[in-house]
Amino acid sequence: MLWIMLIATMCLMNLYSAIYPSKPLSTPVYIKQLYFFIMGMGIILAIISVDYRIFMSWNYPIYGAVCLLLLYALLLGKSQAGTQRWINLGFFNLQPSEPAKLMLVITLASFYSRKDTGKGFTLKELGVPILLTAVPFLLILKQPDLGTALMLGFIFVSMTLFVKLKWQTLSILLGVCSSMIPIAWKFLLKPYQRQRIETFLNPESDPLRTGYHIMQSKIAVGSGLTFGKGYLQGTQGHLDFLPERHTDFAFSIWAEEFGFFGSVIFLSVYFFLVLWGLNSAVSSRDKFGTLLCIGVVSLLFWQAFINLAMVMGMLPVVGMPLPLFSYGGSSLMTSMAGIGILISVRMRRYQVPS
Amino acid sequence: MPKIRRPLEQINKIDEEELLILKKRVDIATAIIIIFVAFLIARLWFLQIHKGEEYGRLSENNRIRIQETQAPRGNILDRHGRIIITNRPYFNLVWTKEDAPDPDYVIKRLSRILNEDISTLLSRIREASGRPRYVPILLKEDIDWKTLVYIENHHFELPGVRVEAVPSRDYLYQNLASHLIGYLGEISKEELKKKEYSNYQGGDPIGKMGIEKVFEKELRGEKGHRYLEVDVHGFEQQELEQQDPLPGRDLQLTLDIDIQRTAEKALEGLGGAVVAMEVNTGNLLALASSPPLQLEEFVGGISSKAWKKLLENPLHPLFDKTIQGQYPPGSTYKIVTALAGLAEGVITPETILYCPGSMRLHGRRYGCWKASGHGAVSLTQALAESCDVYFYQVGLKVGVDKLATYAESLGLGQKTGIILENEKEGLVPTSDWKKRRKNESWQEGETLSVSIGQGFNLTTPLQVCRMTAAIVNGGKILRPHIIAEIKDPDGSTIQKTEPEVVGEAFGNAQQRNSIIKGLVAAVNNRHGTSGNAKLANITVGGKTGTAQVVRMKKFKSMPEAELPRKYRDHAWFTCFAPAENPEIAITVLIEHGGHGGSAAAPIAKKILEEYFKDRLKQDVEP
Repeated sequence: MLWIMLIATMCLMNLYSAIYPSKPLSTPVYIKQLYFFIMGMGIILAIISVDYRIFMSWNYPIYGAVCLLLLYALLLGKSQAGTQRWINLGFFNLQPSEPAKLMLVITLASFYSRKDTGKGFTLKELGVPILLTAVPFLLILKQPDLGTALMLGFIFVSMTLFVKLKWQTLSILLGVCSSMIPIAWKFLLKPYQRQRIETFLNPESDPLRTGYHIMQSKIAVGSGLTFGKGYLQGTQGHLDFLPERHTDFAFSIWAEEFGFFGSVIFLSVYFFLVLWGLNSAVSSRDKFGTLLCIGVVSLLFWQAFINLAMVMGMLPVVGMPLPLFSYGGSSLMTSMAGIGILISVRMRRYQVPS
Repeated sequence: MPKIRRPLEQINKIDEEELLILKKRVDIATAIIIIFVAFLIARLWFLQIHKGEEYGRLSENNRIRIQETQAPRGNILDRHGRIIITNRPYFNLVWTKEDAPDPDYVIKRLSRILNEDISTLLSRIREASGRPRYVPILLKEDIDWKTLVYIENHHFELPGVRVEAVPSRDYLYQNLASHLIGYLGEISKEELKKKEYSNYQGGDPIGKMGIEKVFEKELRGEKGHRYLEVDVHGFEQQELEQQDPLPGRDLQLTLDIDIQRTAEKALEGLGGAVVAMEVNTGNLLALASSPPLQLEEFVGGISSKAWKKLLENPLHPLFDKTIQGQYPPGSTYKIVTALAGLAEGVITPETILYCPGSMRLHGRRYGCWKASGHGAVSLTQALAESCDVYFYQVGLKVGVDKLATYAESLGLGQKTGIILENEKEGLVPTSDWKKRRKNESWQEGETLSVSIGQGFNLTTPLQVCRMTAAIVNGGKILRPHIIAEIKDPDGSTIQKTEPEVVGEAFGNAQQRNSIIKGLVAAVNNRHGTSGNAKLANITVGGKTGTAQVVRMKKFKSMPEAELPRKYRDHAWFTCFAPAENPEIAITVLIEHGGHGGSAAAPIAKKILEEYFKDRLKQDVEP
């Protein structure tokens, strides 16, 4: 809990800097984010107050509800910059693809905990979880939101690997996946998504257009040097060179202002959060709890890793917020709900299932 | 939905054995995570520590824009400190591609504001396509005040658009002394490559001709710099540092605006040149070549159409006739022949030679311009009336090679050393020269032509003027000066030009006086050829010249006025005044002007009147 407070403080501080000097328009994002944090706290409290095992049998209703939301967003949702991601809830725009991640974690944990024989899964046995993943995956890909869709894939792969596969299954899957890449490149990706990957591979080729985000972010991070430019002193951010700096590129601001030391401290904070999550997984008395924790940890870890790698120019630009750090209510509350689950599992580690 | 209601808890429960496996897997997961985090930290180290300096520089480049402020170029003044050329700010509209996220919108708005076609603006942008994106592109020069104010007020709506105040040349006397002063143009790609122009940038103005070019270094000054912090849209946030430009140095010329103007006015419509020189210092009071260049045409680069017109003009305006025009000196050369004859002892001032109207040599007849002949003539008379036969005889006795040494001692056949580009040497023929050049031996008949300034001789108006000065200043060959002083912007003198004697004419004062006497007679005697230059109270001495132009036989017998222009003779007149204590020497050349006495001498007179205007008035009033 304290750890979350620490991250929240870092986040708000950074957001304040991201939009500094503030424009006197509407509520500044750091205030909004503060509200979201408070709401997130409420969600955590709600989650830890119920036994997480209840999700085990509620998984399909949750699954169905989220899929419907995704469908709704796709068909009737608010369009923004050519994507259909949002459902207007009045006080804020819900991005159903965010809770979908958590939903998948619960669903898969439930499925695997019921089916796990300890001998490893065959390809046939994996049919159902693949299908369960594929439905929201395709719905989100259609929005289109490549980053989140990929995240679902990462969660699936991480959790499935964790429950153990048969060696043949693994090799078959690997083979299929690798053969899928060129097909996906051609048919699944939109031109702008393809271009992002292309510019990632060669960012200096056209620095003012598509490679711009990566270049400017690398400049921001790199120019932080050892100790950074100082809080509120970052020039890349404040002079608008850095795009999306309160959402996906929030870490660039941090790295620019606090330098290598600040960034390593930042990474350590996240690292310990993830280790703590893994520890919760081992502490659980039942498989469902363990798998839940593994799912949440993979959710947090992969998001953080992909976001940071992207910001530092190691991966192409995909819309992927840094959990707990980037501005955005849906993402923040999903992450906090995930942490709520971790706490819930950990809290009940001495409760022997009846 | 879950159809299996088997004892879930049994499967779900983790026994000891499973816990061990679980722990092992979590350990593997931890290891994987550590590897990935290590990756991230390694990347951070790479970006921030290893490459940090480089990215730091990039971030500075991002935010800091160095804006150059052009230094005001030095003024050009006349000898009395009157400004001929100064600067006036042009408000130029420039546009930086890098700072414009939506160029189409901006261009559309600008086309409305400037009332200019979109295509004109786009073509300007296209012209600059090779330059880096951060270099501003000039969209329109010299916008008016109203437009300026409008654009400054709406600059938030026009990202990338800026108004730059650029000091530009202001020609207070239009094309006065245009050949001499020259013009500015954008520095060319070839010039940019040169080491001496390393502190120039594409688009900078640079002197292209005349003293604007020769004194580029003095006139230019040093650019100032403003270090501005800009945001991604190119809007200035704050000024970080400023270095003021250092204005260029002023050039004070030896020219006198009034005399120069008089000369140019007198030459209007003609192809020709006027040189006026102070005889004792070599300072030039006027150096005019006609027709003048239209300097305004050159501002911002001359169009190919205008250039073609200049090239095709029969009066050759591109050509500075004072130093680049080489013409046979005609009878002005008789000064040389006279000096050689006196100094070589071939004649004395009292020698009388007979002119029957022509002279025979090796069976050929060489005529005097006066077919009826001058009869018995003295040196004074011969110079005054420009008797050809007299000088045939003198020249023949002196010989062409001896004559050439006198010509050279008077500064002919060599550059005068004026600090302008592309000066021509002229030509003093010798027998050696002919052998080398044409592989033929010298004919005595040619000596006759040479001694009256026809034949192979070539001189520039400036050379003739300097020679005239040398006759009256005690034989000093002076280097002609056009720059009197170079001054710092604060008014202090950096460099002052002193008279420079570069040679001495052969012969002595007595011999020169005999010539002066003849030249004064030419202007003032009843039969003198130069009566058109006579002034009321100032004694002028001068010599006319009519340089024959090579022409076809069928034109030989035609009267001068009926000839096509290009076959008419060049008219010369060179003079000095006042004869008692000479101050000024003036040489006039009119291309295809006909007779020196009628075409050139009146022009010289106008200049003399301007120069002596105060004294002439004084003498009339009391």
